[in-house]
Amino acid sequence: MTWPVAELDNVARLRILAAAQPSALFAEEVVDAPFDAVWAVAADLERELPVLLPDVRSMRITAADGERLEGHARGYGGVRARFDIVLRPGWCVMQSRFLLGGMAAVPDGGRTRFAFLGGFRFPGMRLLAPAVEPLVRGYGPLVIRRLRDRLTGPGR
Amino acid sequence: MVRMSTLPAGAAEHVDPARLPTLVRAAQRGDALAMQELLAALTPYVGRLAGPIALDDGQDAAQEALIVIFTSLRQLKEPAALFGWARAITVREAVRVARKASRARPAELDDVPDRGDPQLSADVRDVLERLTPEHRAVLTLRDLEGLDEQAIGELLALPAGTVKSRLFRARRSFRKEWDR
Repeated sequence: MTWPVAELDNVARLRILAAAQPSALFAEEVVDAPFDAVWAVAADLERELPVLLPDVRSMRITAADGERLEGHARGYGGVRARFDIVLRPGWCVMQSRFLLGGMAAVPDGGRTRFAFLGGFRFPGMRLLAPAVEPLVRGYGPLVIRRLRDRLTGPGR
Repeated sequence: MVRMSTLPAGAAEHVDPARLPTLVRAAQRGDALAMQELLAALTPYVGRLAGPIALDDGQDAAQEALIVIFTSLRQLKEPAALFGWARAITVREAVRVARKASRARPAELDDVPDRGDPQLSADVRDVLERLTPEHRAVLTLRDLEGLDEQAIGELLALPAGTVKSRLFRARRSFRKEWDR
């Protein structure tokens, strides 16, 4: 007996995770590159996060246990943060004490639907979110634009 | 609320039952890694319920249900009741989304066969498309979830007797359709 099942891919799941956060920004676009190429960039956190995220100077993975990682990030303002990370093909979620990030990707024909999630985890963020939203609205699209540049730039 | 103290079939593949209370508590505190682990455990279950009720709108229904589940997770007092609580939300959201989409066929054919009836194995989707979202919810809860009439009535806020009579009438006229 086969019953219809509604399946949700990784991008839809990241959208749900974003909806559950009081301050999360979420962006989702189709990138004109195959999934393997997109995820090879997205999953290379040490090398690529500083390229993709405008406020991250470095990311160092300090521990790994299966899909669980620990990373230490430094920002341009000298801010340091330790991140707990879950990373598997098409799915990455990371959080520090005050920050939340995520990426998801699914094949879309020969292209890739890619989503980015970012947010703050400050106490009281639920109240601050409306004030912060205009300031961070462009962050997700910027990250995806940088990902596109990375995939189509010199040497690619 | 219909409670479920054990995990439904398939859910244990995605989450260790012993860790469930800890995960729920962490997610309620805003731990995104716990949330994503709960999401991985709940998504197949929610999709299995939303699919037969909302059919072509199943993905929308599953997404809406999961958003409600995760935005109201703090209201869940007993972590062991997670799946029963999620089930009630999913059924409600799936019926709502399916009705809103106005894709349900008219309710002239109300009826469903017995649980385990071989007729049901032929093409469940054909059967479901002939029912309203509300009837698909009753059928899904009974045949897929194995709930009895009292539990279905509790979940859908209907008297058990009403559920029973609806199922009886449904069964009879549904058979007529199959016998054509």
